[in-house]
Amino acid sequence: MKHSFITALLVIVSILNITTLCHPNDDILPNPIYQHKMPNGLNVVTVPFESTDIAAFYLVVRVGSRNEIEEGVTGFAHFFEHMMFRGTDKYSKEKYDELLKLIGATSNAYTSNDKTVYHIVGNADKLELMFEIESDRFQNLNYSIHDFKTEAGAVKGEYTKNISDPYGQLEEKIKMTAFTDHTYRHTTMGFFEDVVNMPNQYDYSLKFFKRFYKPEYCTIIVVGDVAPKEVNSLAEKYFGEWERGDYTSDIPVEPYQTEKRCIHLQNASIPPYLSLNFKGPAFSDSEIDVPTLKVIASILFSKRSEIYRKLVVEENKLRRLYCYIPTSRDPDLIEINATVVNREDLQYVKDEIMKTIDKIKSKSLDDKLIKEAVSNIKYRFAMRIDNPGTVAGSLAHYVSLTGDPESLNRLYALYDNINSDDIVNIANKYFMDNGLTIATISSEESELLK
Amino acid sequence: MHKIIIYFAFILLFIPKTFCQELIELKLPETDKITIKLMFKNGSVSDPKGKEGLTYLTANLITSGGTENRSYNQIQEIVYPMAADFRTSVDKEVTVFTFNVHKDFLEDFYPILKELIMQPSFAEKDYRRVKLNQQNYIDQIIRSSSDEEYSKKALEDFLFRGTRYQHMVQGKSESLKSVSLDDVKSHYENSFTRNNLLIGIAGNFPDDFPERLKDDMQDFPNTIPALPDIKEPNVPDGINVEIVSKNNAFGSAIFMGFPIDITRANDDFAALMIANSYLGEHRKSYGVLYNKLRTTRSMNYGDYSYIEWFDGGGYNSQPPSGFPRSLNYFSIWIRPVQIAKQLKLQYPELSDIKTGHAHFSIRMALREVEKLIKDGLSQKDFEDTREFLRSYIKLYVQEPEERLGYLMDSRFYGRKDFINELYVLLANQTLEDVNNAIKKYWQVDNIYITIITDESEVEELAKSIEGNLTSPVSYSNLVKEGLPLEVLNEDDIIVNYKINIKSVSIINSEDTFSK
Repeated sequence: MKHSFITALLVIVSILNITTLCHPNDDILPNPIYQHKMPNGLNVVTVPFESTDIAAFYLVVRVGSRNEIEEGVTGFAHFFEHMMFRGTDKYSKEKYDELLKLIGATSNAYTSNDKTVYHIVGNADKLELMFEIESDRFQNLNYSIHDFKTEAGAVKGEYTKNISDPYGQLEEKIKMTAFTDHTYRHTTMGFFEDVVNMPNQYDYSLKFFKRFYKPEYCTIIVVGDVAPKEVNSLAEKYFGEWERGDYTSDIPVEPYQTEKRCIHLQNASIPPYLSLNFKGPAFSDSEIDVPTLKVIASILFSKRSEIYRKLVVEENKLRRLYCYIPTSRDPDLIEINATVVNREDLQYVKDEIMKTIDKIKSKSLDDKLIKEAVSNIKYRFAMRIDNPGTVAGSLAHYVSLTGDPESLNRLYALYDNINSDDIVNIANKYFMDNGLTIATISSEESELLK
Repeated sequence: MHKIIIYFAFILLFIPKTFCQELIELKLPETDKITIKLMFKNGSVSDPKGKEGLTYLTANLITSGGTENRSYNQIQEIVYPMAADFRTSVDKEVTVFTFNVHKDFLEDFYPILKELIMQPSFAEKDYRRVKLNQQNYIDQIIRSSSDEEYSKKALEDFLFRGTRYQHMVQGKSESLKSVSLDDVKSHYENSFTRNNLLIGIAGNFPDDFPERLKDDMQDFPNTIPALPDIKEPNVPDGINVEIVSKNNAFGSAIFMGFPIDITRANDDFAALMIANSYLGEHRKSYGVLYNKLRTTRSMNYGDYSYIEWFDGGGYNSQPPSGFPRSLNYFSIWIRPVQIAKQLKLQYPELSDIKTGHAHFSIRMALREVEKLIKDGLSQKDFEDTREFLRSYIKLYVQEPEERLGYLMDSRFYGRKDFINELYVLLANQTLEDVNNAIKKYWQVDNIYITIITDESEVEELAKSIEGNLTSPVSYSNLVKEGLPLEVLNEDDIIVNYKINIKSVSIINSEDTFSK
């Protein structure tokens, strides 16, 4: 892989005269990734990163809304994230907060399709305390039924906050329409009726903790002014006794989509909106599908693209245009989102987007354009990873996908091999009418786009 | 009031009127990214009356339009392989242009940067496009996307009404319509000059680059921009409430505040920062407000307090740079609480309630402030909070771009390096300093409050607040049955806690930010 990167580099530099991002070790992340796999299944990742004496401590649990396979408990991975802040016998919530305050850190958590991530970013000299309080709650969480019910109200509050946004409402509808069986059918917040019923699910919450908050589901990532030896020894000290579990989720497989689907949200208070959602691939760090789709998205829909120039800059038909390529454990949705100026142009905009996609299905793209897109994607990422928190957050994402932080470097290495034939093949593979879910927002009761 | 005027006279005397072409250099050999920031002491307060939104439009046209030599499309084509990004941030008193580029492309990108900033084309079609989106933000987006962000902007409109701080940086619905392309061109000539410019650069740049950058920026006009007359904010008389009635809101988003005559320029700021962090540190679960309203009573997603503007509170964990202000206000942010309509849907036992949690949560928050004024922090709370902040403020500048931004903001306040100075100031504070600062700057009798809520909630909520009526807390049975007696006893006090209510008015959402 690394050999091919250097070959590609030489070709690009000599023929196209494009500067290519290259670190001495060829990886997109210039800092080495140290991994230590403990006997109980916990993986410990350390990335030394020069900073102002800061350590980012991320604990990734490979559980998200994807694992919510049972009826009536959608949104539970996220809800459980909240419960993790409710204390243990040793450290009550108040004591936990007091210790966090002592660390002088920022601490929070987030949940998405495939992961729940707990993070503390603070002084590197407080690393041991970070290990201690996290190991305590991951092994000894203990909350009362009352705390459980009370926290359910806060989750309802979060749902209320999110759902005030019409785009949040549309996202719910898109998922429910595009997926029939797979758990990506619901958002991380969960179905409304399940959010409302959460206070009654105390017993299930105990089961949930026993299933997923186990070392084989978890990876600790520490980035900053730290040394692998120190991190590994703290991990052994505080997580060494943690017992392995044995649960695995049987995630339903989404059946092949055979016809185009449509949904609409009537809302006159925001600009008309068009969202085209194609069934995309699952993440892989060895297949070219995801990186090729990212190159296609960049070439077809970035600010430099022909359609952006036409519809946004020249004709003022669109306010915004954006294409999102998912990186999820299972096949997820490729989104092309357009904020339209006039409702009457919804059909025209949809036709223009489809024409743009159809063109690359048959006609080879210029190699120079592909290399420029790859350069854009790589440099964009390289500029982002300029602090311990961002590096740890990026690694947490790839850990959630494959369990291995090196997937980050492997993914970016794949970009160097993408050629114009790949573009044609991948475009034909994923941009199919029968895999499409069209979503619209407008002032009208319905929109029937062809 | 008299004291406030004297204070602001002091501020104007001691804060440099212009930045005098200073360049702040932050060499960071370990990073590959180079950030260049150009901060003009020219924000939305410089918008002429009737043309509110002009500075925002001018600044955004510079980074979202073409130059004399190249069209917008040509610029996008050139910067695409570099992944260089550039953006504009406009606040009340400053406009900041930020350019990020990888060190591999600094020389290729720099001519584009210079063209963008010094030779903007202000083409008619770019103007139409950028203005269209700005108008849409005022007319639709702010009212319909995030009620909590809406409540913050609505409070500024209320608190600063009649002053240059009142309008959103994007302007008002009517005022933006009257801004012409000629207005933009003339505003650019007169308000973006070398005499109100502060230059900053961070990253792994060549040693001679800062001098080049500084020399090149001398090409800006040498005119002295007219400094707007910034009036002090309105001082509320009693508690004045504006309820914004919205179709189909899912909760009540609340923001309240009153002016305080203190900024980062004052050493007292450190003391008040400790008090504020204890009361309601942003996005932290250990603030008093968060604990009382969310952790104990399950009312919403979070509750925080502030002693200066915090931009993008919905998504930023730490206060971002680029928003220095000479006028501050103390504020409390209560994220959306449940309304009666939603509670009734969820819990049959609440079928006869008239309002949701808004009135109760306002009372509870104000009572906590009053308790702090009266009792102050304990020695332990003071020490814990001070130590927390001395460590936590380092995270404000974790990213190199923010380190540079904070250094530049420091100049606005007449400081060299606010974070480092604050570290020392915090260490020097005593419990007495903090409790005195609370007494000096905080009060609970004269406040502006905005509530964004559903039309179904408005009438009863207005009646309840205006009449200082009992505001029963509508717990579901599930929560109520497990609440400790001390919480229920405290609730009994809060439901009848009298606030110094002066007025309650109801505004239709469509009438906000209009004229």
